[in-house]
Amino acid sequence: MAETHSLLSRLFRPLPLFAVSALLRAIFLLYGLWQDANSPFKYTDIDYLVFTDAARFTHRGASPYDRETYRYTPLLAWLLIPTAWSETLRPARLWFALGKVIFAAADLLAGWFLVRILRRHAGMDAARALRFASIWLLNPMVATISTRGSSEGLLGVLVMALLWAVLERRVALAGVLLGFGVHFKIYPFIYAPAIVWWMDDESMGLAKPPTRGLSKQPPSILDHVWRFLSPERIQLALISLVTFTGLNALMYTIYGMPFLVHTYFHHVTRIDHRHNFSVYNILLYLTSAVPSTSSFQIESVAFVPQILLSTVLIPLVLAKKDLATSMMAQTFAFVTFNKVCTSQYFLWYIIFLPLYLPTSSFLSNPKLGVSALVLWVASQGAWLQQGFQLEFMGVNTFFPGLWASTVAFFLVNCWILGIIITDGSHAGAQDRRLSQRKAV
Amino acid sequence: MRQRITFIHKPEQGIDVQELQIAGYSLGGPEFLAAREDRITLALDELPAELSDVLQSCHELHVRWVSPLAYETVAPLLSRLSPGFHLFYTPGKTRGEVEDGPDTAMLCQALSKSFGIQICSSSRAFARLPNDRFSHSAALYFYEPRENLNSLVDYLSTRICATLGGHGDSAVSHCRERAERLRDAASLDISYDTISHALKVTAQWPKKRQSVSVSSLPGHRTEVGILGEDPSVRTEAEEVGISGALTVLGDQKTPSPVMFAVPSRHRVSGASFSSAFVSPTGLHPTLRLRISSGQRPREDASCALHAYFTLPKSIFPDRYQLSDELFLRSKNLTALRYASSPIDLEAPAYATETWGSSILLELTPPTSGEKEDEASGPWTAEVPLHLRYLAPNSDGYAEVEAPYPAVFWACPAEEGTKFPNNPFDRVHLGYDALFGPRTAFWHVEPRAEDAGGSGGRLMSPIRVPVLDEDDASWVRAGTAAAVVVGFAWVLWTLVAAYMKSGYGREKESREAKKKQ
Repeated sequence: MAETHSLLSRLFRPLPLFAVSALLRAIFLLYGLWQDANSPFKYTDIDYLVFTDAARFTHRGASPYDRETYRYTPLLAWLLIPTAWSETLRPARLWFALGKVIFAAADLLAGWFLVRILRRHAGMDAARALRFASIWLLNPMVATISTRGSSEGLLGVLVMALLWAVLERRVALAGVLLGFGVHFKIYPFIYAPAIVWWMDDESMGLAKPPTRGLSKQPPSILDHVWRFLSPERIQLALISLVTFTGLNALMYTIYGMPFLVHTYFHHVTRIDHRHNFSVYNILLYLTSAVPSTSSFQIESVAFVPQILLSTVLIPLVLAKKDLATSMMAQTFAFVTFNKVCTSQYFLWYIIFLPLYLPTSSFLSNPKLGVSALVLWVASQGAWLQQGFQLEFMGVNTFFPGLWASTVAFFLVNCWILGIIITDGSHAGAQDRRLSQRKAV
Repeated sequence: MRQRITFIHKPEQGIDVQELQIAGYSLGGPEFLAAREDRITLALDELPAELSDVLQSCHELHVRWVSPLAYETVAPLLSRLSPGFHLFYTPGKTRGEVEDGPDTAMLCQALSKSFGIQICSSSRAFARLPNDRFSHSAALYFYEPRENLNSLVDYLSTRICATLGGHGDSAVSHCRERAERLRDAASLDISYDTISHALKVTAQWPKKRQSVSVSSLPGHRTEVGILGEDPSVRTEAEEVGISGALTVLGDQKTPSPVMFAVPSRHRVSGASFSSAFVSPTGLHPTLRLRISSGQRPREDASCALHAYFTLPKSIFPDRYQLSDELFLRSKNLTALRYASSPIDLEAPAYATETWGSSILLELTPPTSGEKEDEASGPWTAEVPLHLRYLAPNSDGYAEVEAPYPAVFWACPAEEGTKFPNNPFDRVHLGYDALFGPRTAFWHVEPRAEDAGGSGGRLMSPIRVPVLDEDDASWVRAGTAAAVVVGFAWVLWTLVAAYMKSGYGREKESREAKKKQ
């Protein structure tokens, strides 16, 4: 017992933890290479074949959008150009797997940012910070997704770097990362209002400006607006906007309309009829085939609760109290209320768990934590079982089975989201600690 | 109008030509086991304006219809094509540049009236054919499964035959009689191009016991043949020898014997196959081809076995999936040689405009190496396919059928062989344009799956789960309710949090409370 304890405590030092995380990914990666070479059932994610095909097109000077279903920024294809060298350089398999190495490295870098944030802004000691970071670093689901060749790990590192830059008051860097993130995957735009709201004078470590004159008159609306439009906020807005539009303009100049159509417009026109975790899924299948005649259609206003929660209400109430938890709750709301949802989307909020869990009631009240985890897994399991029956056995489980499990999963997620919001509203530990330290 | 009516029997199953009775424009004879082919060639000005106008708007038009009922071919009528309605088409003035031009609209209207086929529900129903391949092919292609020619028969009887009123009642009734015969045809080919300016209609009936009975109208050349394959006539490896008798009605009182050998692109390999979906099918069904033998039709290592699939839009192949060597090998496939484009990999059937997709796969027969019996035994190849989502219905399942592919060995013909116009060879079959002009096709005979009792049909049925329409109102109301409840709960926690601690930091809100 004591031995394992000492072993564990030895693990939670920077070098061993990152070494073990890297080793975990290396093993998964090599196993994947072996499986791909020896089995007709592939370890590699289909998306990875899409990225690498697109990279090959780019390498030849063509457009990545020549590859059907490539719906990402050309930057991703550019990043993976080394995988196209597998056509000439040996060993071809290793060159081809280089993209996975990049994604896995992004996982580790995201983990490093997690540790930095936990140590500097949540006031944790090294061992405790590493222990929480290991929720991400040693998570087999995260390691599997990146070594199978999904690019979500890149989002993890982008978002963590963004949060870190904000908390470090590196406004210009944060602006660049925000603009870059939105160009890369759109959804990080939800963090913009939270960051802007959080960047008040107190957070930025500035003293409150002296109230003008000695008049005891309450500040007018104009004063509020004036105070809100701080130089830092304007700087962030401008830099992120310039980064975002600059990248888009660059890509548009190179690749033209296909870039806009596949990267952005696709998300407006997509039908999303194929079964997925979203509560709207069966309804979207139905209405895409049989347009409803009724005057009210929930699916046509689906963006209202989603955008309202993830960009307005949650940041308003939580961002100033606890930026990390606010971002976690916003992401959770965005994914839960989205019109399409697959398990890769879960990675978007799993990255925040190490920051949120330390102050959460899921840890302080293990019974609650276990119940939430069990319900989250069970409703997903029910969906997977129904989905298997449909997809591989050809059984019509659309209704009630599949539909009911999406509803159950949705309601469980809403309940969990409620708890995260409640936690976030009276946690606020990190920033307070930080401001105290600054004061000292 | 010219016509050629041919009865084709197997070697040694012919009749004595002396038994044929020829009287003026009719010919009769004893009953025997034979297939029949009628070919009618019409000049444009012989057609009613309704048809000639449509044809004149086409640069090139080839209709190929094949019955879904299994039938045995007789040499030299050996070509095979997936059952259903195939259309190879090049618009006239626009020359394939615009699919939805006025020419195409005119053709669509004619096809809707005659075959009952609705192509123009979408102008993008056509697929463009590759024109960089070896042989000349039409610009556009369309396919739809079609059980029989009843709609065409009704159209011909009521609309077209009636226009022959000027030629007398006998002409009208003769026309109707000929049209009626199409109800049990095995295949129908209609070809027109601007170079020949003639419409060629060829119908074939499967081999059955039938009596020789032909009558025609004066003024039209009618040639009647009683022909059979005759191996003794054959001289070259690529040729089919034929012997028998020909009679030109009205000209000849006695049939004249004929003997000739023609190079034939289409041959029989001697093997047979059947096709069925592997159960359970799911949404990613596998089509399994059971092939009776893997033996080459000739001792020629360059012969390769191919399967050419014509798949309606509800079922589609993923060419990316069909590019992994290891995966292909596990299915006894060698490579995907051709895939039509575009093939959407995501859209539901009801949002897909293109008719469907064609693919040419090379199959990997068991190695004909050391063990001779290994190559000659039965084996299987599996083709991974995917289903599109189909529109909801009231059953909860939709029945879809995939037509049997055309399975053949493609062998390069001997040096110097040319396939000039063999009077019995069919062209514009889809796959023939994907091979060089000197390739011969040795066909593997399609046989209906016995199990399941599909009644000798060359279609592989599959049951696709779809949302039950009757549940629609539950889905609509239930989803809306769930979203409202979930949203309300999250809103409530936000309101509660706001009431407790405001929007600022806890410290601030506490201070704010103190002030109160």
